[in-house]
Amino acid sequence: MFLTRSEYDRGVNTFSPEGRLFQVEYAIEAIKLGSTTVGVRTPEGVVLGVEKRVQSPLLESSSIEKIMEIDAHLGCAMSGLTADARTMVDHARVTAQNHAFTYDERIRIESATQAVCDLALRFGESVHDEEALMSRPFGVALLIAGVDEGGPQLFHTDPSGTFVRYDAKAIGSGSEAAQSELQDKWHSQMTLREAHLLTLRVLKQVMEEKLDQHNVQLAQVTPSKGFEILDEVKLKEIIDAM
Amino acid sequence: MPDGSFSHPQQRQFNPYSDNGGTILAIAGADFTVIAGDTRQSEGYSIQTRYAPKVFRLTDRAVLAVNGFAADGNMFVKKVKQRLEWYRHAHAKDMPLRAIARLIQTMLYAQRFFPYYVYNILGGIEEDGSGAVYSFDPVGSYEREACRAAGAAQSLVQPFLDNQIYFKNQAAAPNQSHPAHLPLPDVLSIVIDSFTSATERHIEVGDGLEIYVVLAKGRSAQGLEGARGIQELSTKSDGDRVFVIRRELKKD
Amino acid sequence: MAAASVYTPAGFDFSNEVRNSFLTERGIPLPKATSTGTTIVGCLFKDGIVLGADTRATEGPIVADKNCEKIHYISESIRCCGAGTAADTEFTTALISSNIELHALTTGRKPRVVTAMTMLKQMLFQYQGQIGAALVLGGVDATGPHLFTIHPHGSTDKLPYVTMGSGSLAAMAVFENGWRPNMERAEALELVTAAVSAGIFNDLGSGSNVDACVITATHTEMLRNFVKPNERVQKERSYTFRRGTTKFKKEDIRSLVVSEDVIHTGEAMDTS
Repeated sequence: MFLTRSEYDRGVNTFSPEGRLFQVEYAIEAIKLGSTTVGVRTPEGVVLGVEKRVQSPLLESSSIEKIMEIDAHLGCAMSGLTADARTMVDHARVTAQNHAFTYDERIRIESATQAVCDLALRFGESVHDEEALMSRPFGVALLIAGVDEGGPQLFHTDPSGTFVRYDAKAIGSGSEAAQSELQDKWHSQMTLREAHLLTLRVLKQVMEEKLDQHNVQLAQVTPSKGFEILDEVKLKEIIDAM
Repeated sequence: MPDGSFSHPQQRQFNPYSDNGGTILAIAGADFTVIAGDTRQSEGYSIQTRYAPKVFRLTDRAVLAVNGFAADGNMFVKKVKQRLEWYRHAHAKDMPLRAIARLIQTMLYAQRFFPYYVYNILGGIEEDGSGAVYSFDPVGSYEREACRAAGAAQSLVQPFLDNQIYFKNQAAAPNQSHPAHLPLPDVLSIVIDSFTSATERHIEVGDGLEIYVVLAKGRSAQGLEGARGIQELSTKSDGDRVFVIRRELKKD
Repeated sequence: MAAASVYTPAGFDFSNEVRNSFLTERGIPLPKATSTGTTIVGCLFKDGIVLGADTRATEGPIVADKNCEKIHYISESIRCCGAGTAADTEFTTALISSNIELHALTTGRKPRVVTAMTMLKQMLFQYQGQIGAALVLGGVDATGPHLFTIHPHGSTDKLPYVTMGSGSLAAMAVFENGWRPNMERAEALELVTAAVSAGIFNDLGSGSNVDACVITATHTEMLRNFVKPNERVQKERSYTFRRGTTKFKKEDIRSLVVSEDVIHTGEAMDTS
């Protein structure tokens, strides 16, 4: 059947004559609708911060889960269609456990990120007449933070399956403003404490609501204690110090 | 039956395994490891070849000795090397020794009900720079040790190693204690004597001896330069280094 | 003197047979007998016979004796190489040697090789292969030089060159390649040495040194350890232990010197 120009955005496995995959590009657009998520790398560890949009006073804010552990030394924060992230995090967790089982060592952050990106490209894949495993690209971007033999690291993945390493990165609706703020304030000798404060300040700037311990979440990965999500008490203390 | 069929059930048996003799051993020092094996390959009373290596360099810091059924051994080493290459591509580094040890366990256990008929001894340098020996059974049970002998003359060599390396049945001199690790020249002498003695008393041991020496990064090769028949196999001179010493054994 | 309570007949005692086969059935195997994996050979030459043998004795894969003797004495001009169960070859050849000596005394003649061969094969056949002796019998008698092989079940061969034992194929390859009729003594000795060496180096059941025996009508020369191509290698270290290395729980020193005073009493014995 002849496809009109406007129909190139229908199939996930059809390039447009200009060489674009519209569905992937739309998926990247979907992330810009998500809540703002920030990651900051320092020599002492990596900090992840997310804005939780508490849409109703009846919503239990602690049930919003946007930062997840992958392994003891490795975690991620997300923005976009967060339901999609479950699939990705599950895959990352299995990959990390498989690696530990087979090699008796922690998986490298880049290897885990690569595994997630391999999965992100599996849309539209089908063998013979079998039904494809995934019908569309993931609508979520991840900030993957961890510590391995190469030190603290922060990676950004998007629905195209591309991943890049960052010193500091913001994704989601407020990402443009947040990213330029990070570019201004980030320096290579930051302490973890400074990274906590920077993350919260950047989130505060782009959030519509007033920032408090209920509508943000902070996590960190350090060489000594690995991945941990900061509890509300600790969070409040940092907010107060801001 | 005249038509060639049988009136009773017939049983046939095929034994896919054989034993190709030979012996391997490994001894860990403080910052080096020695892994050795003879080169005779035999079946029954026949020598198949006088030079079939049983010890293989895997990386600049890991050496694997394989003994038992030679066909399985060669295939197993081939597969380990392939996994090492895949790992290098996936993770942009050489696999650490303890990771190789765990990998070998999973590869052996994967064949739990049709095992590789091989006894593996893995030797090399750990991430912390210490010498290490890992020994395995055919289905993947493994542990880290200071020394281990395996193969045809295990029952001759292991007690000798227990006595000379672990100082079993030897009381220390008054106000003295046994050293935790022996220096490299002493270890090399003990390895050579183990094999000349095993050759004397075991018919499946002999022909040639290959001794691999792995030195930790930064350790001088002092005491090795003079060794007869030595050859360096390392790819880099500033990391862990691998050497091989080749010697003759009696051929009867 | 009182008669023995139970009559024991001469020869082998089979009274443990029932017990042993019961134990074997229950998974307790019989102890391994020392076997001479062995290369033994013999060949005819111009003036007589040359016999050859390696010197390794094994117990499974373990070398039990690195320099044993496998060329056994039958008579001055007849010798017999033995392969198989060491005890069987030693006892069988010793028994036949005794009987040959008695036979020589009775007849007043030098014993013949066929006589020894017949006695050996009859004994081995009687025991239906249970005596694990594979023999190479050679010698020179009034009728000339003779060379036989005798198999454990009692069959025999008479040939100009023969080999036996686990190294027989390696040795026979050398004979097939190098044997010619009417060889000189030195040539024959060299060929036998090469045949045994082929067994020593290519058969795991054979090893160490070459024994040879040259038998002619007038003289028999036993060349024990004729070639020693497998001398023990010098060790790298010395393995002497410091005095006090072995711990002990108690010490008990006993005097083994007994002193005795002999006192003469009465008269000396009459030795006249």
